[in-house]
Amino acid sequence: MTLLDVKNLVQHFPTGRGKAVQAVNGVDFTVDAGETLALVGESGSGKTTIGRCVLGLIQPTGGSILFHGEPMGGRRTLRSPELRGRMQLVFQEPAESLDPRIVVGRTIGEPMAALGASRADREKAVRLAAQRVGLPERLLGSYPAELSMGLQQRVGIARAVVSRPELIVLDEPTSALDPSARAEIIDLLIRLQKELGTAYLFISHDLSTVRYLSHRVAVLYLGSIVEQGPSAELFAAPRHPYSVGLLASVLLPNPELRRESTIRLEGEIPSPIDLPPGCPLEGRCPLAIARCREMPPVETVSPGHTVRCWRHADVAQMEQAVDYFERFQIEAERILTPAPSKQEEQWAN
Amino acid sequence: MTTPVLAVEGLDVEFPSYGEAPVRALHGLDLSIGEQEIVGLVGESGSGKTTLARAIMQLVPPPGRISQGSVSFEGRDLSKLDEEQLRTLRGRAMSMVIANPRSELNPLLTVGQQIGNILKYHTGCKGRELRERVIEMLKEVRIPDPERRYDAFPHELSGGMAQRVVMAIALICNPRLVISDDATSGLDVTVQAQVLELLKRLAERHRTAMLFITRDIGITAHFCDRVAIIYGGEIMEIATRARFFANPMHPYSVLLLAAFSHNPKLRSYWLKEGEAAAEARPAETGCPFAPRCVRVREHCRSVHPELRELEAGHHVRCHFPVERRA
Repeated sequence: MTLLDVKNLVQHFPTGRGKAVQAVNGVDFTVDAGETLALVGESGSGKTTIGRCVLGLIQPTGGSILFHGEPMGGRRTLRSPELRGRMQLVFQEPAESLDPRIVVGRTIGEPMAALGASRADREKAVRLAAQRVGLPERLLGSYPAELSMGLQQRVGIARAVVSRPELIVLDEPTSALDPSARAEIIDLLIRLQKELGTAYLFISHDLSTVRYLSHRVAVLYLGSIVEQGPSAELFAAPRHPYSVGLLASVLLPNPELRRESTIRLEGEIPSPIDLPPGCPLEGRCPLAIARCREMPPVETVSPGHTVRCWRHADVAQMEQAVDYFERFQIEAERILTPAPSKQEEQWAN
Repeated sequence: MTTPVLAVEGLDVEFPSYGEAPVRALHGLDLSIGEQEIVGLVGESGSGKTTLARAIMQLVPPPGRISQGSVSFEGRDLSKLDEEQLRTLRGRAMSMVIANPRSELNPLLTVGQQIGNILKYHTGCKGRELRERVIEMLKEVRIPDPERRYDAFPHELSGGMAQRVVMAIALICNPRLVISDDATSGLDVTVQAQVLELLKRLAERHRTAMLFITRDIGITAHFCDRVAIIYGGEIMEIATRARFFANPMHPYSVLLLAAFSHNPKLRSYWLKEGEAAAEARPAETGCPFAPRCVRVREHCRSVHPELRELEAGHHVRCHFPVERRA
């Protein structure tokens, strides 16, 4: 069932003198109930802006956002009674997204207060949410500053799930955390999705987390989705030069495993003010041809896998279909599975 | 054997703490870097990696001080040099690239002035020749349109570009050793990949040795000749890249790698659950990693482990190193 349907979303921010920051330029995607769609891209790609549009925090310049088949906007916003509490947000910086002056138990309960729940219901919901995210009940009376970053992020997640939303926008929820805390938060998000059936719109630039957490991936570049498809397929066989460049830039902790590619991206993401009309990657793409000055159409290369590139067939020819993330996992299992240590045995004797 | 470019021996750095015993940021740290070698140093925040970089440059901020041990650069003990002699070394023979290029660059000077100043100071080069050499360097770090960028101010540069300017400052005097302290952590992945490749190519061309300090163990897998893991101010494991990643033996190294695994069994085995781990401070006696170690035993809490060579060129500081199934 389609929960969220975003059609031709456009978001421009005027900068004066008739110019505009073209943050989002005609983006289409859907999110089904209970699934995770990842929006990946570098800074300036528009991923956070899309999240904010979906939540109705900013009014899009154009396009439509359907929630349960009905358009958002006008009187139908997150504030309207029938939608309140059904979409939530988890922020990147756990400390900055919590009010330092109120105890975390009250922070978690705030969405319930907004829904008009009674005090008793609120307390019950808070305890349940805390339990779900693995936050010990005794910590509900603490202030955010008394908690570690990992625990603070659990509070942020508890606040998001307390109203039992159908969709949670996760805006880089793990990028501020140390590796071990990150692993725990990812496991928690996966477990919560299984238990509660919540859909996630997962905004991230951390591709190895994306590979693990999401069912489908949309790759953003300068406000356009350049490629979209099932995670396993897109990571193994990317068809857009930018996706290839992005995947080849990932440095997994195994010297043998890195996407070898003849497609190298030069330079940096340009300013999103006054974009040229053609393909957004044209200036950086080693495969660019004259035709790339025109915007390529969205083409379907396999069921559910779309790409926006004139030369996607050439990319498929040039690239090996290998999922390095999957291979890394297999290798990691081999290398990290412990054998009982000889010294340990000697010690025990 | 030839003299290593850098030899750190038994280095202790202390910071006095009011009314308490001084905080020991580094403890008995040994590290040597050979000619043209790139050594990756991986550690989490608070592990002492930046303190090490500063101690090598003899720039430990007071009241912190080097209380024991020595740093030798090309065979010269740096503690025996006076400030004047050190100044002729820093920036010329050994230099540093740090994170946050924007805060390192002076906002009031142009790119050309900032790169040129260091060359002028060390070599007395000036005028047209100075300008030409700076522009040459800007070309080397692949800054597009270097003639124009010469007169640009730092705020006019993107993050990746500012990082390249900082690299140009570090490399213009052809140093023997470059210390990079988390230099690529603020960059987007595609830009990070470009900057790393460039740094490696320049190091090769100028025959520069490098200490590459980072939080990201993934970078070291593709970029360094040797990998060292630091925890609580001590080297926990050090080996050639291939050996380290094929056969990591310290439980802390394995923890860092297991954080990338998606296998719940592996993760729950190696990563101690929750907050006890996050708040654990390095132990004072015994093994500093003991409070976070999943394989800790009584012995680890009382006896401090030595760094032992367990296979050729592979040193591990652990009483019970991890072994692989055959």
